[in-house]
Amino acid sequence: MLSIKNLYSGYGKLRVLYDVNVEVPKKEITVIVGPNGAGKTTLLNSILGFADVFSGKIYLDGKEITGTPAHRVAQLGISFVPQLGNIFANLTLKENLIMAAYTLPKKEVDKRMEQVLEMFPVIKEFFYRKAGTLSGGERRMLSIGMGLMRNPKIMLLDEPSTDLAPLITKEVMRTVKKLRDELGLTVLLVEQMAKLALDIGDNAYLLVSGQIKFKGKAKELLQHPELSKLYLGIKE
Amino acid sequence: MKKIFKFLLRRDVLIAILVVIAFLFILLSSGFSLVSSILIDASIFTIITLSLNLETGLTGVPQFGRVIAIIAGAFAVGAIPGRIMALFMHLPAGADYANDAVNYKVVPVINKLLESNPALSILVLIMSLVIAAIFGAIMGWITSRPAIRLKEAYLGISLLAIGDFLMWVGHNWEPLVGGTTAVFVPDPLRAFGVNRMVMALIMTVVLAIISYIIVEKLNRSPFGRTLRMHRDSDLAMSVYGKDKVKVRTRSLVIGAALAAVAGGAYVIYTGTCTAISFTRLNWTFWPWAYMMLGGIGSNAGVVLGVLALAIARSMIVIYRGSVFGFLMNWGIDPIWLEYTLLGAVIIIIILFLPQGLVPEKTETILPFERVKRIYEKIIKKK
Amino acid sequence: MPGWLASGLVYASGLALTSGGITFLYITTRTFNFAHASMATFGFYVVYTLVALKGGNPYIYFPLAFLFGSLLGIIVYFILNRPLLKRKANEITLMMSTLGYDLILLSLIQMYCDYLTHTYKLYPRRVTMSVYDIKIGGMNASTYFAPITAVLIITALSLFLTKTKFGIAMRATIENTPLSEASGINSDKIYLTSWIIGGGMASLGGAVLAMATTGSPVLGMNLIANMFAGAILGGLYSIYGGLFGGFVVGLAEYAIVYWLAQSLGTWVLGYRLAIPLLIMVVTLLFFPRGLAGIQWKKAFKSLSSEKGEAS
Repeated sequence: MLSIKNLYSGYGKLRVLYDVNVEVPKKEITVIVGPNGAGKTTLLNSILGFADVFSGKIYLDGKEITGTPAHRVAQLGISFVPQLGNIFANLTLKENLIMAAYTLPKKEVDKRMEQVLEMFPVIKEFFYRKAGTLSGGERRMLSIGMGLMRNPKIMLLDEPSTDLAPLITKEVMRTVKKLRDELGLTVLLVEQMAKLALDIGDNAYLLVSGQIKFKGKAKELLQHPELSKLYLGIKE
Repeated sequence: MKKIFKFLLRRDVLIAILVVIAFLFILLSSGFSLVSSILIDASIFTIITLSLNLETGLTGVPQFGRVIAIIAGAFAVGAIPGRIMALFMHLPAGADYANDAVNYKVVPVINKLLESNPALSILVLIMSLVIAAIFGAIMGWITSRPAIRLKEAYLGISLLAIGDFLMWVGHNWEPLVGGTTAVFVPDPLRAFGVNRMVMALIMTVVLAIISYIIVEKLNRSPFGRTLRMHRDSDLAMSVYGKDKVKVRTRSLVIGAALAAVAGGAYVIYTGTCTAISFTRLNWTFWPWAYMMLGGIGSNAGVVLGVLALAIARSMIVIYRGSVFGFLMNWGIDPIWLEYTLLGAVIIIIILFLPQGLVPEKTETILPFERVKRIYEKIIKKK
Repeated sequence: MPGWLASGLVYASGLALTSGGITFLYITTRTFNFAHASMATFGFYVVYTLVALKGGNPYIYFPLAFLFGSLLGIIVYFILNRPLLKRKANEITLMMSTLGYDLILLSLIQMYCDYLTHTYKLYPRRVTMSVYDIKIGGMNASTYFAPITAVLIITALSLFLTKTKFGIAMRATIENTPLSEASGINSDKIYLTSWIIGGGMASLGGAVLAMATTGSPVLGMNLIANMFAGAILGGLYSIYGGLFGGFVVGLAEYAIVYWLAQSLGTWVLGYRLAIPLLIMVVTLLFFPRGLAGIQWKKAFKSLSSEKGEAS
């Protein structure tokens, strides 16, 4: 569904990604793992237009979307859940969800809200509270819920495990799995917690210093003798 | 041959040629006195804009209060040298010196003495400018205190407001410089046998040249490099052990002293000190436009910017009746076009020419030839 | 009601509107709008022209002044602000560009005054709007209408920002622009709207201010430092802070000058700029986040807690 070809991108004079090729097939979880500073977030930023694309192309369902402004990318069905700053702290939870579904007509919004509230009952509890008062795990759930509000074709998740207790992280990963299994969504998952991500992923890419060092099935990377130890800290 | 042609087509060279042509044109059509008044004006504003370039272009401080230092110098020259002379001549020298009725009689008496005494005149002139510089430096130091804590636009707005306030103080506090009725300034320019305007021209041009030498020397010195470090990243500069506060303070003090001298020279030239005339428009915003046109960071650019815009401004005045006269059909005075020009210049530069006419060149520390020789020496040794 | 309070309320309301506009433009576009000065003056001249030439009371023309200001805001957005925002220009550049616009507007205002004098034999350079004011109970109506105007605007803004989808989107963009864009919100439209609102508030504020001070081509120019002081006191964080900050600065100026003039003499009037200046500098140096930075809830709690109660 999403194709990234020969991508060179960065920020202004700073070059981050070199000749990156990524394929994100439909209804599957594609995982991007790698050490800190490898450029994982930059990859997602490039799709949204938050990073500068120096050369290369990005395709959604065959149509080129390189350089499209962020709000248009969102309208095309790509739902981005950032690592940080992924909720509107000063807005109530209800307003957050309304904003997340900004591009949808009112009837759709009501329908989606029902579905999201079903999946994340915790949101219903705090519906009229300001989002900034939520705990870390609750915020994470809200941000994924917001991502879902848009009825997206594909979800981009940037390190959803950040700042979360291990128990909550497992919960989050379970939710991501549900996105694929129950909702049939396509997911591009960027993660630091390599093992957890590769456990639920279908395809995997290893990104190191701006370049792809491995491309294949998630299970393969998990069991790869050198790479898993070297870059991912995965013990046998 | 091709090299000369390419040189002539450079933006700044073209403007310089246009400026010279314009000057010749004005000389031939309106005579020397207009040319000299434009040059005097341009010289004074060259000093002011060079000082602004030092603080903003080089050090990166948003100096929207340039008028503060100018006021310091102007008011100092308006208030002090006259009183000192009056004291020696047993004339009123206290608070009432600045009183309308008193000042009107006292200063001509002082001027008569100066007229017949070249040595005394030179003394008074130098003393006035030194006093201006001192007060400017003090003001520069005072305004450097908020500059420590405040950043960017907030600092700019604060300095602007302070400048406004000082103007109102001068306008309201009569003992200072006469309040609403202004004071006369003793005139040391009459004692030298030539036309007063010529003396003023010599004085301001000499001061402008001296100022240019000072800022250029500073620019190329290690201090200049430190200033540019401050502009580009004051955090990195602190890491290298340079004290951010000291650097800023020094730059602001020197800049203020220069601008104050210009302010003092201006009131000597005009012979009066009128507080309300020191508006932010004339003494802060126009210098900013000069600096932006010339190229932030480049002193040669400043000179070019001042000359080009000073001529453009005077064109409006000269052709007020003829080219722009059609506006009078609706009762509109073309003089307002000066504001339009100022606004348009600022906007056009920001949108299309942010580097100005003379962009700042990245400097090599050593001349290229030496670098080449060092390189060869090391390679040869290998 | 004492005279200083009657005029002071008008002045403070006008300052509130302009400071609120400056704050709103800053929190959305990072631009300190220097052109607020001449936009305010334009608002005054819209009202003055219509009152002088067509008659009626000034208040019926207030909405027109707002619209004119919005138009001025739209112009500067498309010509200057938008290209510079795309270029990621820094705050000084953004502010300087509005300065250029302000100067051009000023020149147009001056020329317009010349034109009015020549064609209609008016004296637009020194206008006392209270002459055109209606009287309520022996006092100028402006004492009531000015604060009412401010309250109306506050109410309208509040409804807009909390009850409409686009208003919520504005708040979202102010807080977190990348996230709002990733949600499909077009920040271009948000910025344009903020200039429509901010510009309108500037001109409306100018019309209100003119009811208390002398109307002249430099009305806005003379008060721009006060407008910024109000915005800075408010903390440049929320539009309500700006409105409140402007009101406080305005009222404080009138009250303090009146009190000082009573005890020291009328000469203090010439130095009135010291008050907003002092407020601005003190705020910047000691409370950089302004009134918005003070933890109001905590302050009230500590005042009202009983002995032995844990905080």
